[in-house]
Amino acid sequence: MNKINLQECSQLALETGRIILQSGGATNRVELMMRKVCEGFGYDDCESFVTPTGIFFSLSDGEANITTRIKRIENRRIDLGKITQVSQLVNCLQDAKCPIMTHTQSRSKEFLKELQRIDGESPYPMWVTNLCGGATSGFFCLLFGGSWIEFLIAFFIGIIISASLKYISRLPVNNFLLNAIASALIVLLAKTIDTWVPYIRLDNIIIGGIMILVPGLALTNAIRDTMSGDLVSGTARGVEAIIITIAIVAGSGTMLKLWALLGY
Amino acid sequence: MFGRPFDLLTLMQFAWAFLAIIGFSLRSNLKGWRVLFTGLGGGICWAAYLIILYFSKSMLLSVFLAIIIVCIYSEVVARLMATPVSVFVMCVIIPLVPGRSLYYSMLFYINGSSGQASRYIFDTLMISGTIAMAIAIVASATSLFLRIRHRF
Repeated sequence: MNKINLQECSQLALETGRIILQSGGATNRVELMMRKVCEGFGYDDCESFVTPTGIFFSLSDGEANITTRIKRIENRRIDLGKITQVSQLVNCLQDAKCPIMTHTQSRSKEFLKELQRIDGESPYPMWVTNLCGGATSGFFCLLFGGSWIEFLIAFFIGIIISASLKYISRLPVNNFLLNAIASALIVLLAKTIDTWVPYIRLDNIIIGGIMILVPGLALTNAIRDTMSGDLVSGTARGVEAIIITIAIVAGSGTMLKLWALLGY
Repeated sequence: MFGRPFDLLTLMQFAWAFLAIIGFSLRSNLKGWRVLFTGLGGGICWAAYLIILYFSKSMLLSVFLAIIIVCIYSEVVARLMATPVSVFVMCVIIPLVPGRSLYYSMLFYINGSSGQASRYIFDTLMISGTIAMAIAIVASATSLFLRIRHRF
């Protein structure tokens, strides 16, 4: 095995960790993957401490040389596809015959190139994700007992919410405000449509819209992190889930109350 | 065809949950055949909840058992498809996440009936806690099982 530089190896491990953490992976998954990358390149002695907002990473070559790096993680967004691909790539390092890596050139260069390809890969086009947001909202509306007209309205609202979430998240607003604005928008749209279309029940439509925003991912990660012993990130993610919930309730509640004050 | 819990209504509910979760996982940028399997998991989650609810008449027990079933499903399928388990678990529990009781607690609170509101808030907290318990149990049991199998 041709050994690579200490600096280079820590660079690769940190890049792997950054992509997984930014796409919403669990903390101990990030630590495991970084360890696997180091072992794959021949350095067994590595320590890492990962929180949802940063990675502390230290790598030693067993002698006098130690390199330590810190990486701050900003703008996280859920991307399950990237987590899957990076995990597959890292598992490839131990496997001699793997379809992803061709072994034509130096392994570290190829690994880095593959990481950059995954990181730069564009997600689905915007109309697909918007349509999927609409489908999620609409079918949840049906699931909780909505009729077909309510399904259509929830579908429409889901599309608008997905699109506007993208646009609002480009502005410098934080996660709390983003969710509050989106849930207020759901209630506003539903109430507006309610004034024109007779005989619909708003409950199912609004619940369908809210299910897009509900922090199921943060909840799952919080539990899994806590169970694997990462108390710091478990707590942090639990608080994130609670804050998103409060934002949803606050946004939709405010809009409902405002609408009631207007007197419709 | 069959008795009450295994009829067309449950099948339709299964289909709605299936389609909703497919939409959800596509929206979080999951690719390939996995999307179909997360959708299937979501459908199983909701159908198991409905069926167990019919027999046991207890909401928390049905949430608990449905999440356990679906977590075991995702531990198995995720290993078959070479995907991190948490990716699957994240998507399949979504139908049972208490968005509905959250909304009703807010609605009743705004309408001024705090009694009903606190009942729904309590529901929300209990359901989230139950989901957390079930996920934690399956995750620890799996790691225990794998360690034992590794040793022998």
